[in-house]
Amino acid sequence: MGRRRRLAGAVAEAGAGALPKVIAALSQSLPAGPSPEIFRRAKFDRPEAAPALWQLLFRLLSPQSADGTSASLALEAQACWVKAALRSQGYPRLVLAQLPEDGSRGSRELLLALSWLLARGPLPERLLAQAHVQLGDEMPVCECEALASPGPRAPHVEAEGPVDIRCVQWLMGRLRFRWRCLITSQQEQCALLSKIHLYTRGCHSDQRLGHLSVAETEMLRDPEGGQQLLRRLERENVGLEAALEWRRGELVFWRWMDTVLGACPPEAPAAATQPTVLPRIAGRGLGQLELAARELRALQEELCEAAERRRAAWAARVGGQGRGPQWRSARQALQKAVEQELAALRRAWEQDRGPARPHGPHRLVRREDEAPGGQYLRVAEVIQALRNQEACLEAALHRLQGQCRQELARLAGALPGLIWILPPGR
Amino acid sequence: MSIVTVQLGQCGNQIGFEVFDTLFSDSHSSQGLCSKRENEAYQASCKERFFSEEENGVPIARAVLVDMEPKVINQTLSKAAQSGRWKYGQHAYFCQKQGSGNNWAYGYSVHGPRHEESIMNIIQKEVEKCDSLSGFFIIMSMAGGTGSGIGAFVTQNLQDQYAHSLKMNQIIWPYGTGEVIVQNYNSILTLSHLYRSSDALLVHENDAVHKICAKLMNIKQISFSDINQVLAHQLGSVFQPVYSAEGLFHYRRNPLGDLMENLVPHPEFKMLSLRNIPQMSENSLAYSTFTWAGLLKHLRQMLISNAKMEEEGFKDPALYTSWLQPVDAFNVWKTQRAFSKYEKSASLVSNSQFLVKPLNMIVGKAWNMFASKAYLHQYTKFGIEEEDFLDSFTLLEQVVASYYNL
Repeated sequence: MGRRRRLAGAVAEAGAGALPKVIAALSQSLPAGPSPEIFRRAKFDRPEAAPALWQLLFRLLSPQSADGTSASLALEAQACWVKAALRSQGYPRLVLAQLPEDGSRGSRELLLALSWLLARGPLPERLLAQAHVQLGDEMPVCECEALASPGPRAPHVEAEGPVDIRCVQWLMGRLRFRWRCLITSQQEQCALLSKIHLYTRGCHSDQRLGHLSVAETEMLRDPEGGQQLLRRLERENVGLEAALEWRRGELVFWRWMDTVLGACPPEAPAAATQPTVLPRIAGRGLGQLELAARELRALQEELCEAAERRRAAWAARVGGQGRGPQWRSARQALQKAVEQELAALRRAWEQDRGPARPHGPHRLVRREDEAPGGQYLRVAEVIQALRNQEACLEAALHRLQGQCRQELARLAGALPGLIWILPPGR
Repeated sequence: MSIVTVQLGQCGNQIGFEVFDTLFSDSHSSQGLCSKRENEAYQASCKERFFSEEENGVPIARAVLVDMEPKVINQTLSKAAQSGRWKYGQHAYFCQKQGSGNNWAYGYSVHGPRHEESIMNIIQKEVEKCDSLSGFFIIMSMAGGTGSGIGAFVTQNLQDQYAHSLKMNQIIWPYGTGEVIVQNYNSILTLSHLYRSSDALLVHENDAVHKICAKLMNIKQISFSDINQVLAHQLGSVFQPVYSAEGLFHYRRNPLGDLMENLVPHPEFKMLSLRNIPQMSENSLAYSTFTWAGLLKHLRQMLISNAKMEEEGFKDPALYTSWLQPVDAFNVWKTQRAFSKYEKSASLVSNSQFLVKPLNMIVGKAWNMFASKAYLHQYTKFGIEEEDFLDSFTLLEQVVASYYNL
C-alpha cells in the first residue's frame, strides 16, 4: 500500500511530461518497440498506427526468434499468427479477432492487447533475459526456462482424409535422423569447446576463469567482431535502463490505458446465429421481399438437415476410428495422464537436487583444481543428476513398452488363425 | 564431420582401397575446373571426412581393415604405402594368421565374438581421432562366408556401442551365377542381420558393374580391379563434398546424415542403389563433351528402365509412391568442382524397387535349399539354428512385400 501511495505521489509530482517518457522507456525496453507517437495515435484508433503494433505484438509473442528471421513474414501472416497466439493465451476481446489482417485499422484494439500482455507478467524483463548477450560459453543446467515459457500451442490440424501410415512412419524416420544428427553436432561442439578452453589457458585476466570462451576468443581474433559485441552490450544496457525506468513510472501508463479503454465503444455481444429474417423495409416490393425471405429460410433449413444427415452417415461408416468425441476424450485423458506423470517426475528431481542449486544457464569453465569459492556447479554432479533422470525415464519407457507388448499379445491372441509379424528392429 | 570406414574381408578391403585412392586423386586433381579458393575448400572438406593428419604430412585414411587372412590386408596396406600419397594407419587393421574356411556361421558365431574386443578397440581408436563423427561406412560382400558373417557381427556391435551414429553398409550383390553353393544362405543371413542393425544398405550388383565395364568402358578382359575402380568412382562421386541448397557457398557438413535423412527415413525401406554417369574409359574422356540435360535424361531413363535421366524429369509424380510428394522425395545437391577428371558428372542414389526381383530370386532359391535341409549342418554346427533362418526369411519376405506395395 505504501508503495502505491509513494508511486502515486511520484506520478503527481512528475506532471504532464511523465507519460511520453514512460512510454518511451517501455518502447526501448521492448524489441521492435514503436515510437511514443504511435501509442498516442493508437489511443485515437488512427489507422496508420496499426502495422507497427501488429509487428510489435508478433515480436513479443513469437517464441525465442530474436534474430529477425521471422520478421521476413508478410504483415498478413504476422497478423494472423498474432490472432492465433492471443486466442490460445485466452485473450478475451473478440473485436481483435475480427480485425482485418492487412493492417488497415484497429490500432486501439492492438494497444489494448499489448497492455493485456504487459499486465500478465514481467514481459520486458523476460524478453531482455532471453536476448541477453552471452560472453561466456553458457550451458543450461535445468529445464526451467523451457517450462516457464512454453509458447503458443501449435494450431491443431485435423487431416483432411485418411493418411497413409507409411507417410507418418517416413516423417518419424526423418525426425529421428535429424535428432541423431543433432546429437552428433552437439558432441562436435563439446569437443571443440574443450579444445578452445584448453588452448587458451592462462589468457584470461580474470583468475577465477583462467581461459577464454568462444566469444572472447573471437573478439581477440577479429577486432571488428569485438566492436560489434561492444555495440550489442551497449544496446542491452540501454534496454535494461529503459526497463528500470519503465517500472518506476508504470502507474502513469496504466492510468492512461484506463482512458484508452474508456474511449472504446462497448463491445457488441457475439452474434449467436445469423438472422434469417431480412430487415423490414417499408414501401413497395414488401410482399416480394417477404416471399424471398420465407424461401431463403426454408432453403437454409433444408441444407442444414441434409448436412446433418451426411455427417451422421459418415460418422457411422468411419465408426469413430480416430475421430469422434470418444476418441478425443480418450486422447485428452491420455495426455493428462502423461503430463501428470512428467510433473511428478520433475517434482521428485527437484527434491533430489535440493533447493540450493541455482537455475538458469551457467558459464562453462575448465579448471584443474577446485574453484576458490563462490557459486559453482561441478560438471560431474550435473552429469550424474542427468543420468539419474535418464534412468527414471528409461524405466518408465520400458514399463510402457511392456504394457504395449502385452496389449499386442492380447490382440494377437484374440484373433486365432492370424499370424502377426512384428516389424524388424528393436 | 568425419566418416570411419570399416573394410571387411577380401572384397571390402580391395574396394576400400580403390575408394580412398579415388577420393584422394580427385581431391588433389589439377583439373578441378574451379577457382583456387573453391578447390582448397573442397580439398579441406574431403580431407576432414576421410583422412586424418600425420606429423610428416602423409594423410592417413580413416579406415579399419578386418580380415581373417593376412594376404589381402598386407597387399592393401603396402599398395597404399607405396603410392606415397596416402596410407593406412599403422595399427588400423585386424587379421588372423590363417583363414578359416568359407563359413558364414563360423564368422558370425565364432570369429566375431572371439575377436570382438580387439576389433572394437581399433575402431574406437579411429573414432577418437575424429573431431566429430558423421558415421560409419562398412564395405563388405553379401554372399561371402567368413567375411560376411563377421561383417554382420561387427555391424551389430557398432549398433550397440555407437547407437546414435549413422551406419551405412556397402554390400556387394553376388553374380547371378555364383561360385559358392551356399551363397544364397549367406546372402539372406547377411541381409536380414544388416537390415536390423544398419541404417542404410547401399547395394552394388556385380553383374551390373560388370556390364558397365564391358559396354561403357570397353574393357576386354575385366578384372576385379576394374570392377572395383568403377565402384570406387561411383562411391566417390556421392561422398565428395557438395553444397547445401540454402547456403550455396559452403559445403554440407554431414554427408551420411543428409543422405540418410532423405533416402531411408522409413524403417522398412533401406535398400539403396547408385548410378553414375558418364562412365567411360579415360581415353575417350578427353574427346567428349556433355550437357546437363543429356546426362540427367540419361539418368532418368536408367532409373525407369531399371537398367539402367532434366531435373524436371525427376519431378514427375509417376516416379514416386503415392504417399510421398516429389518435392519431399527428390533432392538435388550440386558442386562446382569437377569430379575425377569428368567435366560434368551426375550420380543418382535411389531407394526403389529395383532390387525386389533379384532379392525375391535369392530368397526363393535359399528357401528351396532350406526346405530340403541342404547344407544346413554347416550352420547349425556353429550356432545358427533353423529358427534364425526362419527369422531371416520372414524379415526378407516382409521387405519384398513392402517394396512391392509401393
